[in-house]
Amino acid sequence: MCLFLVLNHFVTNLTDYVQSICDNFAEKKNEEGVLLYQTAAWYLSIILMTLITVIFITVVLKTTKRKEYDGIQKKWYRFRTLYFIILLVVFGTATYCTLQDLPFERPVYGQGENPVIVDVEAFQFGWNMSQTEFKVGEPIEFDITSSDVNHGFGIYDKDMNLVAQTQAMPEYTNTVFYTFTEPGTYQILCMEYCGIAHHLMIGEIVVTN
Amino acid sequence: MSTTIRGSNTSKNKTIAMYLLTGSLIILFMMVFGVLMLLAQGKMMDIDPGFFYEIMTVHGTGMIGAAALSAVAVMWYFLSKYVQLSKIILITNLITFIIGVVMVLVGIFVFDFAGAWTFLYPLPAISAGGWSMTGAALYLGGMLILGIGFLLLNLDVARGIIKQYGSLGGGLGWSIVFGKEKGYGPPAAVVASTMVAIVNTTALIAGATVLIMNLINLFIPSIMIDPMLAKNLTYAFGHIFANSIIYMGVIAVYEILATYTNRPWKANRPFLIAWNCSTLFTITIYTHHLLMDFAMPKWMIIIGQVLSYANGLPVLVVTAYGALMIVYRSGIKWDIASSFMFLSMFGWVIGVVPAIIDATIVVNHVMHNTKWVPGHFHMYMGLGATAMLFGFMYYLIKVNGKEKESSVDPISFWVYIMFFIGLCGSFLYSGKVGAPRRWAEHFQEWVSYDRMGAIFGIFIVLAVLTFIIRFWNYSRSMDFKYQDKIGSDHHVA
Repeated sequence: MCLFLVLNHFVTNLTDYVQSICDNFAEKKNEEGVLLYQTAAWYLSIILMTLITVIFITVVLKTTKRKEYDGIQKKWYRFRTLYFIILLVVFGTATYCTLQDLPFERPVYGQGENPVIVDVEAFQFGWNMSQTEFKVGEPIEFDITSSDVNHGFGIYDKDMNLVAQTQAMPEYTNTVFYTFTEPGTYQILCMEYCGIAHHLMIGEIVVTN
Repeated sequence: MSTTIRGSNTSKNKTIAMYLLTGSLIILFMMVFGVLMLLAQGKMMDIDPGFFYEIMTVHGTGMIGAAALSAVAVMWYFLSKYVQLSKIILITNLITFIIGVVMVLVGIFVFDFAGAWTFLYPLPAISAGGWSMTGAALYLGGMLILGIGFLLLNLDVARGIIKQYGSLGGGLGWSIVFGKEKGYGPPAAVVASTMVAIVNTTALIAGATVLIMNLINLFIPSIMIDPMLAKNLTYAFGHIFANSIIYMGVIAVYEILATYTNRPWKANRPFLIAWNCSTLFTITIYTHHLLMDFAMPKWMIIIGQVLSYANGLPVLVVTAYGALMIVYRSGIKWDIASSFMFLSMFGWVIGVVPAIIDATIVVNHVMHNTKWVPGHFHMYMGLGATAMLFGFMYYLIKVNGKEKESSVDPISFWVYIMFFIGLCGSFLYSGKVGAPRRWAEHFQEWVSYDRMGAIFGIFIVLAVLTFIIRFWNYSRSMDFKYQDKIGSDHHVA
């Protein structure tokens, strides 16, 4: 019983801790824009790939002297169980955190606040948009389809950073929600190969204060 | 489950050598096309966008096709030690491959087809004047013939395993997995081949379906397909088929590292569970290619992320971990073959990192179809899968015994590694800063990374050229009877 209470306390605390990390991450993301994800992806990759490189090099350096395999297996199979549990916890936590912020979920808007609905139709090789001028802070719902082949609707800011995207498909409508936090001219680039002028399929959005 | 089969090897090994020469030469040409694309994106060479997209189409298609062909050679070579396989089907696959390649090349370079390897419906039929119907039909038809050859081969692999081990479940060691028996399962080569036969058959049927549907739509436009279904089938085909290359290639790692270290790589229960999981995950995780298709059922998008994470576990916990364990304190003699095998495990593991990160929906939202994607799969393909194939080629050179390792080999090996890491780094960084993939012309912001990539690519091409020259020299001098001299039974339970 006592063990159960301790375990329950530990799990509750751990859940709260994970939740607080997720909340902080989401808050930071909102403050600094989605670029946090690109930066996080880059640095996390570098760190993990460096760690893996160090492990592989270390093992190579320890291949010279031969030892009995049975002892090695016994020791490192035991460690593998721990390593497996650690990976499960890390992957589980990452899954839980990142699934809190799904781009296809309609955000919770304030009372009386409704998004501007923009109809977007992609075609070879351009964009038809029902509206191209927006205000900073105005929530927008882009409803995107295509009149011919598959395209990709990618919103780039003035520094050419990709801030949001979804696919543009014939017969289907994909909806992406976005609120611009900075004024400026944004470009819409096609993110799915659609034919020989794919790279010329560029639209424009103007965001003002 | 303890039979080891050895057949007559002379003509069989000639066919294997033919597979590897064909595959590696095509890989080399595809690398040259890759460099041309980077030179064009980096504004170092003026290439017409129409031609750029043609070489993009041939690069994606050819690289996967050629690597799969070479990987089949690896699987067939080792699996035939344990299972009776049909040599006629092996040769048939090579013939259909060559016919398919010729059709694809004519479709692309004579009739200007540039629909990318994804040929996403309805692009083949709606090209906005980019290519003719003949070009699309030749490309799709060529892919279909290629696919039929590979399908026959995989069915033959499944047949051979079922005959030897009773069922595909027997090949995957289910009696051990479900606790009915204790001990070890079939040889690792058999377990891996069973998995490959299952996933590839699934992939090739999905691919054939979408290819035929596209062909029908091409000639009878009134017969239309649901574009979302077509997209699912395309990625189910492409993802699984491309993935299977490394699962065929890893058989060489199991066999060669076990031989070099004189340590058994037995299929114990965790090993078998991992391979059973890989079978399931490889078939189901293709939906991570559709994370930005918000019209898909939400559960499918979420499952795409969750299973992609899970798919990293078998390699991280069992396969790569096993490779580290088997060489640790083993006194292994490092030569080019064993180095390539070890490199391939390293490449596979580091390739998993950016792949898993990109399979995260919120990250994919700002990185999908940027150059981050080619960044991670070039790592997986170049440092993982093709490293296994080149390593296998060097292994054959070694066991033939007539060719000695020269000083050029380690130099080429290290050039290949360092510049491939550089190439992947340039791709990943381009992706981080938002450069889209599959763009004939890049904005100035992205050009410097393309230029770096082009330079790295040139050195990679030179390194691969030396690998192929070495293998070419070997294939002219070998006696093709070497398998009788080797053939360790380490893995037979």
